[in-house]
Amino acid sequence: MVSTTTDERYAKVREIICDVLEIEEDEIEPEALFVENYGADSLQAIEILSSLEKSFGIVIDQSELARMVNLEAVNDVVTEAFEKK
Amino acid sequence: MVSTFAGKLPRDAARRVVLTGFGVVSSIGTGVEEFTAGLRAGRSGAKPITAFETEGFEHSIGCGVTDFAPEQWIKDLPLDSLGPATRFAVSAARMAVEDAGLDPAVLRRQRGMVSIGTTDGESHDLDQLVATELADGPEAMDPRVAARIPAGRLSAAIAQELGLTDVEAVTIPTACAAGNYAIGYGYDAVRSGDVDFALCGGADAMCRKTFAGFYRLGTIAPDCCRPFDVDRKGILTGEGAGVLVLESLQSALRRGARIYAEVLGYGLNCDAYHQVAPDQDGVARAMSLALQDAGVEPGEVDLISAHGTGTKANDVTETRAIRDVFGAEPPRTVSIKSMLGHSMGAASALAAIACSLAIVHRFIPPTINHTRTDPDCAVDCVPNEAVEADLRVVQNNGLAFGGNNAVVVLGRYDGNAQAEDATAAGVMA
Repeated sequence: MVSTTTDERYAKVREIICDVLEIEEDEIEPEALFVENYGADSLQAIEILSSLEKSFGIVIDQSELARMVNLEAVNDVVTEAFEKK
Repeated sequence: MVSTFAGKLPRDAARRVVLTGFGVVSSIGTGVEEFTAGLRAGRSGAKPITAFETEGFEHSIGCGVTDFAPEQWIKDLPLDSLGPATRFAVSAARMAVEDAGLDPAVLRRQRGMVSIGTTDGESHDLDQLVATELADGPEAMDPRVAARIPAGRLSAAIAQELGLTDVEAVTIPTACAAGNYAIGYGYDAVRSGDVDFALCGGADAMCRKTFAGFYRLGTIAPDCCRPFDVDRKGILTGEGAGVLVLESLQSALRRGARIYAEVLGYGLNCDAYHQVAPDQDGVARAMSLALQDAGVEPGEVDLISAHGTGTKANDVTETRAIRDVFGAEPPRTVSIKSMLGHSMGAASALAAIACSLAIVHRFIPPTINHTRTDPDCAVDCVPNEAVEADLRVVQNNGLAFGGNNAVVVLGRYDGNAQAEDATAAGVMA
């Protein structure tokens, strides 16, 4: 993607997460926790990370996984990755 | 000296199972002699990966087998009918039979088993086929390569190459513990009298799919594998094959075979706790099952060859499980993956061979690349330099994704001394 607005990007992040976690997009709350609230596991976290990297052409350090616990936090990580790009 | 564990073994030499031949294809040497020298020297198989394109990966060190000539060993089957893992398996089987001093013509008249464990089968070929399909369409795929893919080829090709018709040939796909599973399966077949011999082991060839998978999990070390070290950074993928000849003690004695070691028992379980994370209780249980099957008390084990991948999760979980079974002062616990990388399905077969060679040659192979032991993995891992040791019982751990755990227990075979003990015990009974 050459240029995306912040809103479009946020929508895409949400879509990717919902796709991996197999939930509807209206089910996800920005601060609800993937593991505790949606029953996610560590492999799904990696799937989210790799899908984000592929879709946006960014690089997210594996150590960021610890932070990527909800939609809000993932969006922050993606935003930072764009800034570093 | 009367050994306590021997006292619990079946007295009948027809029901005792010994190892009489080994075939080795590894990144630290081909054949028993080179492999033994490599283990003793603490040789490292690490080098840049050449088995597949590594563009796009920041680091790509692996333990490839780069100086191996399968045509030296494979005489009957056309090489291009075999994928790389099958070439390793068939070559190692030929070597093992030769090492055991067995004539394939004699084996053909006996009942046998071929059991080979694997993680990836011929995924390397599959990777290449898919790349061809994507680039040039399905019509460009080579049918000869497609025919090499079924994992059953790993064991069936050994039977074909050696001309064995009265054998059960089975490929056991329990991933990183598969070599031990294959040995356990052959052990049961020999000790129950179902077969006269078993060719057991494991084989895998490095492939991009598995490298990429482990890489994405964050478990590939950038430079080298440092099991139990506080700075361990993960695995290096490796490849190769190990094949062991199993036969009854009676058969080995009758033909005057050299005996490397005795298979005392094994244990398997599948705790199914998690796809990739090991479970401490499941691992401990597998070890206890193996010791129970072998009739060995934890205190009698002189050495543990750990699964020891060098990942954060494996090493801490495995050493905790070891302490659950062996107490606060477990036997010395080494990882030959520090030298060989993780050769996947071949790993526990090669490790079982290493354990036997350690028993025979009275040394403990070191855990190389070691600087400082992680306090969370407090074991004596015999860092960097082999040590001389008198080993009577050695335990070989194999742990796989999905909680597939397999542990094999091997014992020194002391020849006449032990036979006399056995006779005495038999008389007393």
